[in-house]
Amino acid sequence: MNCVRKLLLARELSAGRGILRQAAPGRDLPWLQGSSCAQRFWPVSVRSIRSSAALSRSELIPSARGDKEKDRGSRDGSLVPFDELFERAHEGDRTKAAFSRAVELFCQRDIRRRGHVEFIKAALRKMPEFGVERELDVYNKILDVFPKEVFVPRNFIQRMFNHYPRQQECGIHVLEQMENYGIMPDKQTKFLLLQIFGKKSHPVRKYQRLMYWFPRFKHVNPYPIPAALPRDPVDLARISLQRIAADLSAKITVYQMSLTDVSDAGKEITQPHIVGIQSPDQQELLAHHNPARPVFVEGPFPLWLKKTCVYYYVLRGEPLPPEEKEETIDSERNFFYPLHLDLDLDRGPWDDEEFYVDEVEEGPIFAMCMAGAGDQATLAKWILGLQQTNPILSQTPVVFHLKPGPQELQAASDSESGEEEIPQSWHAKQEL
Amino acid sequence: APDGFQRRQAELCRFQALPSGTVTRSDMSGLSLVLRAARAAFPAGARQLRTGGLRSAYAKELFLGKLGKEEVFPYPEISNEELEEINQFVGPVEKFFSEEVDSKRIDQDAKIPPETLKGLKSLGLFGMQIPEEYGGLGLSNTMYARLGEIISLDGSVAVTLAAHQAIGLKGILIAGTDEQKAKYLPKLASGEHIAAFCLTEPGSGSDAASIQSRATMSEDGKSFLLNGSKVWISNGGLADIFTVFARTEAVDNDGTKKDKISAFIVERAFGGVTNGKPEDKLGIRGSNTCEVHFENTKVPVENVIGEVGGGFKVAMNILNSGRFSMGSASAGMIKKLIEMTAEYACTRKQFNKKLSDFGLIQEKFTLMAVKAYVMESMAYLTAGMMDRPGVPDCSVEAAMVKVFSSEGAWICVSEALQVLGGLGYMKDYPYERYLRDSRILLIFEGTNEILRMYIALTGMQYAGKILTGKIKEIKKGNVGVALEIFVNQFRDIMGRKVDLGLVGKDGVAHPSLEESGKKLEENIYYFGAAVEGLLRRFGKTIVDEQLVLKRVADVSINLYAMTAAISRASRSISIGLRNHDHEVLLTNIFCTEAYFKNNYVMAEIEKYAAENLDDSIKKVAQQVLEKRAYICSHPLERTF
Repeated sequence: MNCVRKLLLARELSAGRGILRQAAPGRDLPWLQGSSCAQRFWPVSVRSIRSSAALSRSELIPSARGDKEKDRGSRDGSLVPFDELFERAHEGDRTKAAFSRAVELFCQRDIRRRGHVEFIKAALRKMPEFGVERELDVYNKILDVFPKEVFVPRNFIQRMFNHYPRQQECGIHVLEQMENYGIMPDKQTKFLLLQIFGKKSHPVRKYQRLMYWFPRFKHVNPYPIPAALPRDPVDLARISLQRIAADLSAKITVYQMSLTDVSDAGKEITQPHIVGIQSPDQQELLAHHNPARPVFVEGPFPLWLKKTCVYYYVLRGEPLPPEEKEETIDSERNFFYPLHLDLDLDRGPWDDEEFYVDEVEEGPIFAMCMAGAGDQATLAKWILGLQQTNPILSQTPVVFHLKPGPQELQAASDSESGEEEIPQSWHAKQEL
Repeated sequence: APDGFQRRQAELCRFQALPSGTVTRSDMSGLSLVLRAARAAFPAGARQLRTGGLRSAYAKELFLGKLGKEEVFPYPEISNEELEEINQFVGPVEKFFSEEVDSKRIDQDAKIPPETLKGLKSLGLFGMQIPEEYGGLGLSNTMYARLGEIISLDGSVAVTLAAHQAIGLKGILIAGTDEQKAKYLPKLASGEHIAAFCLTEPGSGSDAASIQSRATMSEDGKSFLLNGSKVWISNGGLADIFTVFARTEAVDNDGTKKDKISAFIVERAFGGVTNGKPEDKLGIRGSNTCEVHFENTKVPVENVIGEVGGGFKVAMNILNSGRFSMGSASAGMIKKLIEMTAEYACTRKQFNKKLSDFGLIQEKFTLMAVKAYVMESMAYLTAGMMDRPGVPDCSVEAAMVKVFSSEGAWICVSEALQVLGGLGYMKDYPYERYLRDSRILLIFEGTNEILRMYIALTGMQYAGKILTGKIKEIKKGNVGVALEIFVNQFRDIMGRKVDLGLVGKDGVAHPSLEESGKKLEENIYYFGAAVEGLLRRFGKTIVDEQLVLKRVADVSINLYAMTAAISRASRSISIGLRNHDHEVLLTNIFCTEAYFKNNYVMAEIEKYAAENLDDSIKKVAQQVLEKRAYICSHPLERTF
């Protein structure tokens, strides 16, 4: 590790000489003359700032704009409003590239990286705006802003007390933000932290704790949601329905694809999508349903997938009356062995492993669906589709118990927030 | 001194001196003429006589911790006349199988050549258990088992014959009317017609409720129209007579109409019977297995077996009665395998030593010998019990024989193949065929899992009926009964000496088997205690505890196997059969091994689900099945 670092140093020194010169014109830097023996020239007491591998390449590109920015920066003096730096950096889009440019600007402006704590804090604040809050390399880039080796304690007293507390805290801030967004640090992060703060410093400890817990929690959710949800409402409905049904034999049927068409009369016809799911078990339940009793279409019920909320409808029946619930075991059922014993003995308490649970009776759920619209006409189309596979439905009265959907509530907030929405769906709204 | 034992032997001799009846015989032809002529020299009724009474509940009594020694001691024998008779059958059949049956070709062509079938027919092997008055050989169960040993040398032939007579025509034999018997049995016995048993459907294995085939009565009430499809029907493509199970509408006692299963004799000539092409199978490739479809097949009312709506019982009886012969069949196969592999092991040399000098090879031969011995003992004990006068119900014993012998056969064939190493794996040798053929034994005639449930539940039901009163007393808090149990358990802990009268003074087993006998007695006693404990703990909900039931079944199978081995070895010593010292060794080896296995399993039974791993086993299965996959991360997977 040490070797590698030295090598890197040597390379950077030889390569970055021009820039350093450029950055501090007119200054005599005798230690830079002999790059071949850089190690010797790197006594820590010389509080010089050097750029690390991550940045060296970009710095090598001589850029006219960089010079301009630098000039402006020196004009502004030491107190730089860092937010402004970011504002200036993005000309047009707030992208990762723009963000990186801002960080680079800062690094190039001042060899001593004056005000880096403030800059880093500003950068952390700005990350969500640029949409880079989940980018590991951006975090590494931010950490790279810290001057290297300056804050590494060099004796036991420094080590005992909180050496450069502001910088350490700032480092912890960076890691905390990573933690909050669930970004796992990598080798590069560790390398940077060691270079900046040294072994056993608080940020490195923080890093170690992250690396202890993060892998353990990585797969803690037994029902993981894909990192990026599909944009297509039909695909989204597919994922959501499979999630609720939790039955691998359940079959998804797309009863209707969304469609916008202009009819002959010139009227616009929109046809919302309808995606339903039904498992063989549910089909069987429905087949045994007494057609004299109605079934109910209910909904919409919300389902949250990370930050997206979708709505679904269920087709359910009333709980069975107790007299119909008891299943009599036919003694002539199994050709090979008895399915029940003719004994007057019950299970003893020690083998009764069921907890006492206060059970709330619910009716059977026969099918579920998600649709592009929550009106009765659309859902009736779903029931019509279900009839193909469940003939009994055509004889069973279907009652629609539809609550007012969330569309009224959201209409207002939609317009004002202007957040991106999944096309033509009031029911599937992406919230940030 | 084995006083009791000798007394038993004397009793046996007395029973065998009883008189016998005569039977009429129908015409015969071909080779079977010789056999039947030989057979005619002996009165048929003689074989009806066995020791013991009518009661037949040895296996069930085990569940109460009782040893019904009068039922299994002495080991059943056949008379000299019968022995001579059966030996006259055995000779030609053995010759036929060694000379005429080309198993390799049958396996390759997936078809039994017509001349082989013809030979089998002329030997009378298609009517082994059909009474002589209908033209069959009228063999007793014991003699049937004996022939089964030889027939099993070719799996395909054995299955073809078994499908024909062990299940295919069994319905007519056990529940048919005289008219049905007179009409169908003669042609079936001669092999002119082949029978098949049609129960399984695409959606129905052992579940009667999911049988979809339906027979509707015609308006004149004279016939049924049969519709439906059956799958995996052995002999489906060859058969002319089918025993078919289908739903019919039956009127219950209280006047409500209800669907019930009925059994029908269906001739291919009735029309509307078609069959699919033969299935391509792993083993028993020569036997014909295919789908059979019935489409508006008109079946006259006279062809209902038993009564309308009574098909369930018929099916159960057929299935239960067909199993016992698998024991002798497997034993026959293993005996043959031992001969073949021993030949190899004694000639091949490695490191200047014969293969037979290596301990690990020797172990395999011992294993095969022990298994074959025990299987044989169980099979003939059960057959002997079934041959007793009256209609003894030996279905539990038969199921035990089936489970033990099918699993034993699979292990032994695999070990035999192993002795030959790479050679055994080659198609040039018959071992791989035996291995493939024997795999079906664990599956058909009720899978072993299902039969274990049958064995355990039947026993539990029997024991439960008797113990219910006692257990209820305890649960009510009857101090007397509870105290008795406590004292009993205390004595168990202190090391009780169990004496069920098997060995020692008045014992029925030979003294040289004393150790094994004691082990069996101890196992039986504690098994009874374990069963009682289970009934106390689970009551009727034991039905849902399949893991527990499996253990119960395993112990009871072992106990029955030990009994059979001890009983047979005792007889062999007492009458001085050749190599009876070898039998003693085999018995002692088996009993000692089984004793320790039983103790282990019974210790598991006594524990609660958390301790005997049942909980964990179920949980793992649940997690795997929920995802329907192996869910562990790959060992090369990383998280960071």
